[in-house]
Amino acid sequence: MLFKGTPTYNKRAGTQIAAVLQRHGGVFNADTWNDRTRYYEMLPREQLELAVHLEADRMRNSFIADEDRQSEMIVVRNELERGENETDRVLDERVWSAAFREHPYHHPTIGWRSDVEGVPTARLKEFYDTYYYPNNATAIVVGDFDERTTLDLISNHFGPVPASPRPVPPMYTVEPPQEGEYRFILRRAGQLGLVEIAWHIPETKHPDTPAFVVLDQILSAGVSSRLYQALVEKQLAVSVDAQSCQFRDPGLFRIDMTLTPGVKHETAEEAVHGEIEKLKNEDVSPGELTKARNIIVSQLIYLRDSPLGVASAISEAEAVVDWKFYVDLPAMVEAVTASDIRRIANEYFTIDNRTVGYFIPKE
Amino acid sequence: MKEYSFQSRTQRYKLPNGITVLALENRANPTVSLSGLLMAGDYFSPANQHGIAGLTAGMLNKGTASRTKLEIAEALESVGARLAISANTFTVSVSAQSLSRDFGLVLSTLADELLQPSFPADELTKLKQRTTASIKHNQEETRVRAIERLTQVIYPPQNPFYQPTAEQLLNEIEEMSVDAIGTFHRERYGPGSLLLVVVGDIDAESVHEQVANLLGDWSGPAPGAIDLPFTPLQATPTREFVPMKDKPNVDIVIGHASGLRRSSPDYLAANIANRALGQSTLSSRLGLKVRDEMGLTYGINSAFMESGLGDGPFLVSVTVAPSNVELAIKASLEIVDEFVAGGIRDEELQDEQSAWTGSFKIGLATNSGMAAQLASAELHGLGVHHLDIFPELVTAVTKSEVNEAIRRYLHPERATTVIAGTLD
Repeated sequence: MLFKGTPTYNKRAGTQIAAVLQRHGGVFNADTWNDRTRYYEMLPREQLELAVHLEADRMRNSFIADEDRQSEMIVVRNELERGENETDRVLDERVWSAAFREHPYHHPTIGWRSDVEGVPTARLKEFYDTYYYPNNATAIVVGDFDERTTLDLISNHFGPVPASPRPVPPMYTVEPPQEGEYRFILRRAGQLGLVEIAWHIPETKHPDTPAFVVLDQILSAGVSSRLYQALVEKQLAVSVDAQSCQFRDPGLFRIDMTLTPGVKHETAEEAVHGEIEKLKNEDVSPGELTKARNIIVSQLIYLRDSPLGVASAISEAEAVVDWKFYVDLPAMVEAVTASDIRRIANEYFTIDNRTVGYFIPKE
Repeated sequence: MKEYSFQSRTQRYKLPNGITVLALENRANPTVSLSGLLMAGDYFSPANQHGIAGLTAGMLNKGTASRTKLEIAEALESVGARLAISANTFTVSVSAQSLSRDFGLVLSTLADELLQPSFPADELTKLKQRTTASIKHNQEETRVRAIERLTQVIYPPQNPFYQPTAEQLLNEIEEMSVDAIGTFHRERYGPGSLLLVVVGDIDAESVHEQVANLLGDWSGPAPGAIDLPFTPLQATPTREFVPMKDKPNVDIVIGHASGLRRSSPDYLAANIANRALGQSTLSSRLGLKVRDEMGLTYGINSAFMESGLGDGPFLVSVTVAPSNVELAIKASLEIVDEFVAGGIRDEELQDEQSAWTGSFKIGLATNSGMAAQLASAELHGLGVHHLDIFPELVTAVTKSEVNEAIRRYLHPERATTVIAGTLD
């Protein structure tokens, strides 16, 4: 709805938001995720003011009109349907919903189908009037620009936008400790079986986060990683991935795999648990630690090649803890030791703390 | 501005064995991007060996005369470097990224993989298994199935844009042996068509030396030529349905053989036409009507898919809920009809020219973006200079050239419509 226009930028005036940005060759969009909504544009540097003006304008002046909601609802519902076509996404969504019973990470960001269909315009407006204020926003500019001029630009356009009349409501729901494993099966048409295993892990600002970031690499970065060797190399799975999901509130460490045809779900799952037991009982090698750190640091350096990549990384860091997390990560990762990895594996990768989902293709 | 031109900053070398090397220094970040290609893609597959180009490219990092797969992976992964080789319709493409200090490792690994692959049989078994699974996984995607069927209707089976059925592909992959892969490598991989473009924090002269040291002695078959007739437009429109189970979203593609290649003199005009019609879901004609105004879809666009060395399809693609299929097809075709009848508007032409030159500049902001553009210009014989003059060329395209291209390349009245998904 934030692309539908403001009194300044709209289709009738020939200044439709997407058309104006497209005209300058911009890469632009908006997306939602667990802790934040973000609007971004990458433009030739002469157009910086356009981007700043547009974002300041639509922060408070968007129409959010009832006549736009009906058509936009079907657009978003189609986005949701496209997601539902992908079995691996559906399985992952259900793992999150099972693992989080009370905290809102239970809900997919796109929403549930009936909520997308039924939400009234007034409810959208209420959301906009609660959260879309400068005191709840961060502006990030990356690229080739003059610092003073740019700060003035931001101040000139965002400065006059009023702060929220009421404090932005805090998120206070806490997911209580899981008391026993959650396990479920998803059955629908499909060709290849899937297994996903997840454990609750702490919030990003927790001191254990760097160890999880390193462990993620040790488990699944490349052919030489532990899970690739234990599952793909042994022909139990055709692909496997581990991901440490860092959020503002406690998230999940998840491992997902696509099974080799003919392999039982239980067999592949057992192989993962075998690797987890090794982590609990033996230190990872110095070589594995160095490799993981090198991968993390080089990825951050590659990112610097693209202004949008850097802006994106900083915005994610700011959303989950603080933008400085992006800067500090290499040093934090450097300090992770083998005993840290062993300790977190023992502390978090327990049976009572895990959720396991199987996708079994329907005959 | 002259001294900053790509022409003046890019070093171009031709080795005696035919390898072309382009090197561009960019010291902004301590990284190096490599983009390369050679003529060993699907087009060169022998009869009944669909997929051999992809398997051969995929086998290159599975072991060489001196190193195992794990040793190769360990060396690259331990420094966070990335090297990928994959097959396309006509070419095999190489892409790599590393910190500048590790570029030597990347290049020597690439040389080892190209020159001395050992094609171990057990690795081929595993790769075939993963490839098979990936084909099956792709078969679950409505878009993949819709495009696959479209190509079968609009191209003859011997054309490289004709996508064989999954069943045929799986059978042919099952039969593939290390001998067949070795033969394909011996007959198709050679220095004559190898292009390597290196951009980043590196001395251009040393790139030339390193390539000459590692690959200068490589001898191999002469590059294969591409001799592909243009595919004529089908005579009448047809409609096909690909039934799939449990899919809440339907993919629709409406398309025909485009008759457009990169070498076509009106390539730029045709692409400006497509940009105005449907390149962007958010701001092109199709998107403004079918997404923004009618609210039928999350995604609608049009494209000349693979108008490069060959004439790939032109298609309009849209996703909808099953109940909106007919409405979406009707609305999309009406917009294309109207575009063909009325042509591009002045402000659309201006907007698309400025959008294309703007996004071209943005694409050149990264090392990998520059490497990819340089490789493409070289592949199509346009030269490094093309990057400098591209914005002028786009801006010089006139309204009548665009309208001429619309009439020549867009034929909704003869398009094939394919619907893939769950419809009762």
